[in-house]
Amino acid sequence: MHELGLALEIHRIARQAADERDGGPLEFVTVAVGDLAAVEPQLLEFAWRAVVDGTPDAGADLKVEWRPARQVCASCGEVSERAPGSWMRLCPRCEEPLAVTGGDDLDVLRVAFAGPAAAAGGAFR
Amino acid sequence: MTEVDVRQKVLAANAAAANGLRARFLETGTLVVNLISSPGSGKTTLLEATARALRERLRLGGLDGDIATDRDAERLRQAGIPARQILTGGACHLDARQVESALAEEGERLSGLDVLFIENVGNLICPTSYDLGEDFKVALLSVTEGDDKPFKYPAIFARAAVTLVTKADLLPHVDFDLAAVTDQVAALNPGGRLLVVSARTGEGMDAWFGLISAERSRKRNARFAACVV
Repeated sequence: MHELGLALEIHRIARQAADERDGGPLEFVTVAVGDLAAVEPQLLEFAWRAVVDGTPDAGADLKVEWRPARQVCASCGEVSERAPGSWMRLCPRCEEPLAVTGGDDLDVLRVAFAGPAAAAGGAFR
Repeated sequence: MTEVDVRQKVLAANAAAANGLRARFLETGTLVVNLISSPGSGKTTLLEATARALRERLRLGGLDGDIATDRDAERLRQAGIPARQILTGGACHLDARQVESALAEEGERLSGLDVLFIENVGNLICPTSYDLGEDFKVALLSVTEGDDKPFKYPAIFARAAVTLVTKADLLPHVDFDLAAVTDQVAALNPGGRLLVVSARTGEGMDAWFGLISAERSRKRNARFAACVV
């Protein structure tokens, strides 16, 4: 259950992004989670609630973008067919073993927060 | 409402600490191996046997992550190498900052080693995500756990440079399809190595000791190369 530690870290990063821009409470945070990140999105969202409840960011949603790992065949390239709940072992065309690549994403992508009112305009050119 | 692109790794703070450790280990030419497996698959027993076999030739040390008790570090000390327990108090993995402070507190006893073994908290999932500044991860899978585990816990078997199938002396007594495990590991991790060992009987252990010695030499040469550059 390391999702709680991750949620704390996501909140710290998001809060920092907002504070640097004189932002108010968080509205939402979008994160990318890969197949191989060893993170369960529902647990992460549950942990997120526990982290933000009781803070000014209590209304903020955590949006999870799922990033699948890629199955790559040495001869045929990327294979999009999936075995239920897992990867395929062999290429459905040439029966060669498939390599699994990518899917290790665990990134904060976007942060949305209230204000600041002046952010949209008023900048000097 | 203001919306901004951040694009920052969630584990950026851990990665920064891990990179600091990695630079230090390169400077001292210390090979660092991060052992990950479920509880009871034989990490400590493997390290005890490794300590006894290599301690005369190499300066070895261990960091042992556990939720409770310093039993594992004590076992490694009994096997003749310096070891430090890291108690996580419930956390299911080690992070780089814990390794940093454990090494700082141990000072000389765990510095300038030839090989540092980090025995992670027994868990096939969470430790996978945390870089500890190691050269490579080793996944252990004991034959009593079942031959479906690589596909059930793909992240660790895809990332571990070495998979050790442990307790091989029990193979005649359990239904464990070694060929199936070899196939799964090869599919997840085409460049990975797989060794079949028994710390109890010594079967396959020479290949493991040879791998550690060879990687240690390679690390030391990398250190010289880094000095020249």
